[in-house]
Amino acid sequence: MKNLKLPFVYMVCLLFVGLLLSAVPAADNGYQVGDTARDFKLKNVDGKMQSMADYKDAKGFIVTFTCNTCPYAIAYEDRLIELHKKYAPKGYPVVAINPNDAKVSPDDSYEQMQQRAKEKNFPFAYLHDETQAITKAYGATRTPHLYIVQKQADGSMKVAYIGTIDDNSRDASKVQKKYAEAALDELVENKQVSQPNTKAIGCTIKWRAA
Amino acid sequence: MTKTLYKSFAAAFVFMLFSAASAAAQDVKVIKFDELQQLRQSPGDTLYVVNFWATWCKPCIKELPYFEAASTAYKDQPVKVVLVSMDAAEDLEKRVKPFVQKRNLKSNLLLLDEADGNTWIDKLEPKWSGAIPATFLFNNKRGQYEFVEREMTQEELQGLIEKYKP
Repeated sequence: MKNLKLPFVYMVCLLFVGLLLSAVPAADNGYQVGDTARDFKLKNVDGKMQSMADYKDAKGFIVTFTCNTCPYAIAYEDRLIELHKKYAPKGYPVVAINPNDAKVSPDDSYEQMQQRAKEKNFPFAYLHDETQAITKAYGATRTPHLYIVQKQADGSMKVAYIGTIDDNSRDASKVQKKYAEAALDELVENKQVSQPNTKAIGCTIKWRAA
Repeated sequence: MTKTLYKSFAAAFVFMLFSAASAAAQDVKVIKFDELQQLRQSPGDTLYVVNFWATWCKPCIKELPYFEAASTAYKDQPVKVVLVSMDAAEDLEKRVKPFVQKRNLKSNLLLLDEADGNTWIDKLEPKWSGAIPATFLFNNKRGQYEFVEREMTQEELQGLIEKYKP
């Protein structure tokens, strides 16, 4: 009798632990500086699936969670284009990811993304994170939200900078501190990033209804 | 002659109506971070409900009526609702004030004139990523503090106020 009961108790315990684990999201707070960032395979506005691994010569990426609808994201579009033009030749292209759920924010649909990319002639990939899994893994909370990653000797991508582009989202002409550029200049020279975390006010990500 | 008189009378009446309406909505005070810090450190036995919003932020606008309702419901109690706009100071006249008038907002209204979030967000709350809406509830006399970085339902907001109000 005793022997019969024991496996049952084990099973109940295992089930319980399993339930507990499944209740905790895998990457609750997302990446911190120093973490290894995962690659992704997301649909670009050109219709093709895109991964970081597709860029053979990249030394890293400026992974930018951004969208069509947030006034701050829009205010940064031109600066994001400039950032790409300046740093893609140095090995750090911009990869923009739209994290917003199209049901909650219809102007962030894939079709609207294609439209916006065409209007602004984006020179970088603009990907749709339809399931929001990558956004959650990275831990992005607002748009725009930058993750600059640097390729390591083993090919993995180490998070080197998390934050904002500069110190004035509203007015490019009043910018005094270019946070992202400072970090990129250090990375290009293989130096330690001296200010790896910055913050800015931004639009909350439009999560899909649970 | 009578016609002109009538016209100016009507104009005066419209003007009166308008000024009555403008008196009802709250004025927006433009502040710097040190004043926000003072508010955060208010020593009294009062529950402060401080919500960060902007006229361009859809989820913020969606929850604004909940804060307005709380502002009215608790107006005779030690509960103070403060709405802090993240709009640019340059947009005060052309966007923020018209918005406040149109919605006839009654809560205490501030506009934080700090373009670089990186200089102040961490000082207020290191856990805050900078996304809005975001809401702080605190009663410094009782050492109570709660920070919420997301859109709230009216029930959630009410629940928090009921939980903490002195």
